[in-house]
Amino acid sequence: MKKFLINTFIFILPILIVTFPLDYLISYYLKKSHSFSGELEVWNDIYEKKAGCDIAIYGSSRAWVHINPKILEDSLKYSVYNFGIDGHYFWLQYLRHLELVKYNRKPKVIILSVDNFSLQKRIELYQPEQFLPYMLYNKDIIKYTSSFKGYKKYDYYVPLLRYAGKRKVLKTCLRFFLKGYSKKNFREKGFVGMERTWNSDLDKAKEKIGEYKIKIDPKTLELFENFIRECIESNIKLIFVYCPEYIEGQHFVKNRKQIINIYKKLAIKYKLIYLDYSEDEISKNRDLFYNANHLNKNGAEIFSKKLAHDLKLYI
Amino acid sequence: MLFNSIDFAIFLPIVFFIYWFVLNKTIKIQNIFIVIASYTFYSFWNWKFLALIFLSTFTDYCVGLALDNEENKTKRKIFLGISLIVNLGILGFFKYYNFFIDNFIKIFSFFGQEIKPSSLNVILPVGISFYTFQTMSYSIDVYNKKIKPCRDFFAFASFVSFFPQLVAGPIERAKNLLPQFIKKREFNYEKSVDGMRQILWGLFKKIVIADNCSEFVDLIFNNSSNLSGSTLALGAMLFAFQIYGDFSGYSDIAIGAARLFGINIMRNFNYPYFSRDIAEFWRRWHISLTSWFKDYLYIPLGGSRCNIWLKIRNTFAIFLVSGFWHGANWKFIAWGAINAIYFLPLLLTNKNRKNLDTIAKTRILPAPKELIQMLVTFCLTVFAWIFFRANNIDHALSIISKIFSLSFFTIPNFDGREKALELIIIICIFIAIEWLGREEQYAIARLENKLTKPLRYLFYYAIIATIFFFGGIEQQFIYFQF
Repeated sequence: MKKFLINTFIFILPILIVTFPLDYLISYYLKKSHSFSGELEVWNDIYEKKAGCDIAIYGSSRAWVHINPKILEDSLKYSVYNFGIDGHYFWLQYLRHLELVKYNRKPKVIILSVDNFSLQKRIELYQPEQFLPYMLYNKDIIKYTSSFKGYKKYDYYVPLLRYAGKRKVLKTCLRFFLKGYSKKNFREKGFVGMERTWNSDLDKAKEKIGEYKIKIDPKTLELFENFIRECIESNIKLIFVYCPEYIEGQHFVKNRKQIINIYKKLAIKYKLIYLDYSEDEISKNRDLFYNANHLNKNGAEIFSKKLAHDLKLYI
Repeated sequence: MLFNSIDFAIFLPIVFFIYWFVLNKTIKIQNIFIVIASYTFYSFWNWKFLALIFLSTFTDYCVGLALDNEENKTKRKIFLGISLIVNLGILGFFKYYNFFIDNFIKIFSFFGQEIKPSSLNVILPVGISFYTFQTMSYSIDVYNKKIKPCRDFFAFASFVSFFPQLVAGPIERAKNLLPQFIKKREFNYEKSVDGMRQILWGLFKKIVIADNCSEFVDLIFNNSSNLSGSTLALGAMLFAFQIYGDFSGYSDIAIGAARLFGINIMRNFNYPYFSRDIAEFWRRWHISLTSWFKDYLYIPLGGSRCNIWLKIRNTFAIFLVSGFWHGANWKFIAWGAINAIYFLPLLLTNKNRKNLDTIAKTRILPAPKELIQMLVTFCLTVFAWIFFRANNIDHALSIISKIFSLSFFTIPNFDGREKALELIIIICIFIAIEWLGREEQYAIARLENKLTKPLRYLFYYAIIATIFFFGGIEQQFIYFQF
């Protein structure tokens, strides 16, 4: 028995020894990756304390590809960073906020891009790889990602385990390790303009799903309201923006008006500014979009200028 | 609790440590602990179904004792009947209730009688088909006076619920397993090392082979209407490796884990894809179930020592029941029927016991004839697996009709084709390792006789690294649903 235990220990020891350094190494190289829509670049800036700014833009991809911080900076003369997180609704937008204020100076103004989807919650964790380098023992990430179908409880605590079977990630790291990595970022201050033309997403969706109702997640709504109170208490000026949405796509969601009313009511209740561009001229011009929810690069530029102009009145 | 989970990686050493270091004084205490550990293991799925395991255990324990004290033939039959009714009753209700209700409704509606459906939302308890068969075989053996009944309740409960083989077998016989719970177990270094090695190999088969195949198999079978015949054929072939990796991987882990506790469990797989004919395949695939049906169904029906019509009846009986055992769906019965059709010509021409030895025993490579025989047997098996994996018979037929179309001669095309190529390379390496180790209990057994210690360790670390790098998305074992 003694021999068995000693030999088992001797066998396992090298694995235990390499676990932490290997975890560190993989995380290190993964952070250099510009994949996953450049999400890692934003997380890096946050955790490396490089994301401090006067105006923070929050939201989903509708913030990320719509609002160009550079245009806002030039116009408003404040530092601006776009923290839009692709494919995620308010639940994880809040995680980003939490990490931002934890590791960086808090912003003076937050522009929150709200839309039909902000208050719903996904079942599966979208682009879960973006959390990999930062999630080990990270209480905030554990709290806000563990309710999704994505990672298992041990992934947050056992080094290296979360990388098991993540072939794409491991290959990326190996490539960086062997060949070096590109220093050119995918995003600039969190933003990237999409050089795309109108695609058939809307027609396909109409054909496949038809009209549908968005289910509001009560916990997300509660978190959303708590976030508003938190901003007020911290003297952060919060501005709601409903970014342009292609007019034909607006009939797609059955309870769209009810959802917008929630934002309007909350804005009135907490005396917040609510800028709605859903019926703006931009929303009627299909050439400025690449699908019903997203402006292309040209559209984003026009919209950012318009937004900067309007914000001058309030900032 | 899955064998390929961290929960099990924590559970197993804890149980091992308590078993050998804390409770090693008496067998009784060790057996009580095995029962507690096994019930804990099972309760990770659904603790409510522990009552069924206990009911099955208690019934057969009492039936065994009652049979021992009774010489009257009628009463003995009644006691055996109680065991069969309880076990098959549990199985019938939880596994087949809705199947029978649905089919009765269909039959009545065919004759113009409309019946309101009253299907129940019955959850299938994990492992029910395995432990009920195991306990039933005990009562049948006691009834046939092949074994003496067990008087130690905890030894018997350990036999029924022993956690390594509780949820997906191998379906053990009381003759082999029960005596091991009655005599004192001594720790054996070689046996334990071998157990660890077999667990490692089982994990490789499950995590690298089965879980990776599963990704493509699901993709291909779920989109079968949009894919070419060649892609569907590839999907069926990958399923053959998925189910083998999954189930034989599970069996390896079960056998290996049992060995750590000083218990030897019967072998369940013997390199079935290296079989030269279907009869050989069935001697090598899911051995514990095949031999169960042979002993308790085929032979009592007369086996092959009877006239030609009875031979045909018995062959169909064993394969159809085996198919039905897998699940309450006509597709499994069709799968069984296909295998019966494959098997019959061999039986009727007395060629079913032609290939009893290991293929190419003294050679590295098989002879061309053997290679062709293996490939033909494999293709026949893959064809039958289509029914097993498809959603229903119609789905299977639509896949087969596409495979036998001109689109079979195109290059397979589906999302992630490059990743699939990687997997095929891994499968080739896996086949090579299995081929080299085909005379062993499992492919990498007795490695200490073949490699020096540093090389052996290097080989183990390579397997671990492969599991880490190429492991697929964690999936439940296929046979848990049966």
